[in-house]
Amino acid sequence: MGILIDRHSRIVIQGITGREASMVTKHTLAYGTRIVAGVTPGKGGQEVHGVPVYDTLKAACREHQPDTSLIYVPPAFVYDAVAEAVANGIKLILIPTENVPQKDAVKCLNLARRAGVRVIGPNSVGMINPGERVKLGAIGGDNVERCFVPGPVGVISRSGGMTAETSWMIKRAGYGVSTSVSIGGDALIGSTIKDLLALFEADPQTRAVVVFSEPGTSQEEEAAAFIQERGFTKPLIAYIAGRFTENMPEGTVFGHAAALISGNYGRPSLKAARLREAGAHVLENFDDLIPTLKQILG
Amino acid sequence: MGRLLEHHSKQLLKEMGITVPLYEVAASAVEAEEAARRIGKPVVLKALVPVGKRGKAGAIKFADTPQEAALRAGELLGITVRHFPVEKVLVEEKLDVAQEWYLSITYDKSRQAPVIIASTRGGVDVEELSRSYPGEMVIHHVDPFEGLPGFRAREIWADLGVGGKLLGAAGALLSKLYATFDRYDAYLLEVNPLVVTTGGELVAAAAVMSVDDSAMYRQSRLADMVQLGSERAWRPLTELEKKMVEVNESDPYRGTARYTEMPGGDIGFMCGGGGGSLLCFDTLMSLGGRPANYSEVGGNPPEAKVYGLTKGILSKPGVKGLFVAHNITNNTQVDVLARGIIRALEELNINPTTFPVVVREAGVNDAIARELFTAAGVEYYGDEVTLTEACARMVARMKEVYGEGGQP
Repeated sequence: MGILIDRHSRIVIQGITGREASMVTKHTLAYGTRIVAGVTPGKGGQEVHGVPVYDTLKAACREHQPDTSLIYVPPAFVYDAVAEAVANGIKLILIPTENVPQKDAVKCLNLARRAGVRVIGPNSVGMINPGERVKLGAIGGDNVERCFVPGPVGVISRSGGMTAETSWMIKRAGYGVSTSVSIGGDALIGSTIKDLLALFEADPQTRAVVVFSEPGTSQEEEAAAFIQERGFTKPLIAYIAGRFTENMPEGTVFGHAAALISGNYGRPSLKAARLREAGAHVLENFDDLIPTLKQILG
Repeated sequence: MGRLLEHHSKQLLKEMGITVPLYEVAASAVEAEEAARRIGKPVVLKALVPVGKRGKAGAIKFADTPQEAALRAGELLGITVRHFPVEKVLVEEKLDVAQEWYLSITYDKSRQAPVIIASTRGGVDVEELSRSYPGEMVIHHVDPFEGLPGFRAREIWADLGVGGKLLGAAGALLSKLYATFDRYDAYLLEVNPLVVTTGGELVAAAAVMSVDDSAMYRQSRLADMVQLGSERAWRPLTELEKKMVEVNESDPYRGTARYTEMPGGDIGFMCGGGGGSLLCFDTLMSLGGRPANYSEVGGNPPEAKVYGLTKGILSKPGVKGLFVAHNITNNTQVDVLARGIIRALEELNINPTTFPVVVREAGVNDAIARELFTAAGVEYYGDEVTLTEACARMVARMKEVYGEGGQP
């Protein structure tokens, strides 16, 4: 089990011939995940580590019926790639690209939402379901088992790197993960903490979820409300990094019109308070994750 | 994002066909006097600094004559407004105001759409507006595929009770403001006040604009208007920060190395990625450590970038130790990090036995990193310790070498 991806996922990589995408393809195949096709305009007919490359996603779909796309293209081409995926019936898109202009991100996310397509990212290092040996993205690199082993804990992280570190801590505690998801470090992302909590709630393998959070956005507040509405009833453990930023002079964040619209959100201390109020275990120190997990999972 | 100074925002608005007051930029009292004379009317003088709420900060003054303009400019030049020294002032025609309105366009990140806030009550800030006059505001979310057609713009003003001749003009103005926001990849465009003059003309009297720095690759027009890296600071970039921006930009497509100078501190902080840095900074602080800077290093940076950043971190006066840590990396080659860091340490003749250096780097090629760091005499940990444990070692090492109070 696990969420979003499993061994039935039919993965295509848009931009597969790029340097990083090619390396990710190699590591992903070595891990045992199937990649049905790749797309790079003008490179149709080639192969990347044995994966057939097509000029268009349309042609790849005709031959291989992918349902999941990993989009490895530079920021300027992300919107077009997402539109191509949506137009060709892809159901799940993961965008690792960093620095996507927000105007483009807004268009990507609205287009996908209207078509009922789920997006993870942008700025996601990937996600992994180790029980099924399926990973999407650079997550885990060439040494996946160092951090990711199968188990009962779901991981949602706003930091790509900390997705691995958090999963490694869970392994160190003697457990493993059902699915670890790097949801993307940007303010504008496709799937939020709350969205994934809903999926983990329905996943029988997942007995608890660990969230790694950062300052900004209202995702933790929304997650707290979701728990209080009984949308998520399993134990939730959260760590919110960046407490020191609260003591910095104001001015690092500006645009008070935006702050007003989003409400007075963003501060780690307020997020922690809201999550605690909803019954979540909020960690003071990251190392407390290990005893807390042992206490919860036994 | 990067904030534009007001004369730049107004230049862009003007080019889009939006009426702005007559203005000039002055760098001295004499220049301000001459500008006021050319404008030929009472003027407003505004400090040209990239911060909001300048009125409240005393950074906006009025003058009826060119002589008075010189005096007021002299008062503004040289003061510091929220950490930004005033080097130039904007000298602007004072408008004959009949009404003051409010207009802003930004992104609503929760709704994931551009949002327009409009009110026929301007001149106060938006927080005050929403507190005191919530019934006199219109909040309109823009469909990113529809944009803002003319009828929508007119609906917004009509809902606020604007009618007659003014309605058409207000609608056209709003369409142009939205077009400006869209065209320049703005993150925020705020016009407050939007003035209706006694002559019935609509003028963007004050404009605050910030732009999305991720879109700079397609905004060549803005290249000289936005300082790279400025979006991360609450004050002008320090000399060291500017140097570190250069180090980062020297190879813009491979890895990131971001640096922010913190007040005081004695631990050089060389960490990544984003989340790992936040965690380590919090943890060092909670253990009584004093990081001298913040940094985020990631995305598999080349050795030269790592070396340049490490040298920068160590060059800050008062730095007496170095903490190097990352989350377990997915793709960053830690042997490359090791080479860059060790080169910087060697070049600066740093002896890790008397200058504490603690490293926690695990991930791609960490066996090689372990050999390199160990050979250089550096206290190295891989994934046998957690980030928190490594932070504790750093703080303990500082105490070992320099004593409890931090003095050797």
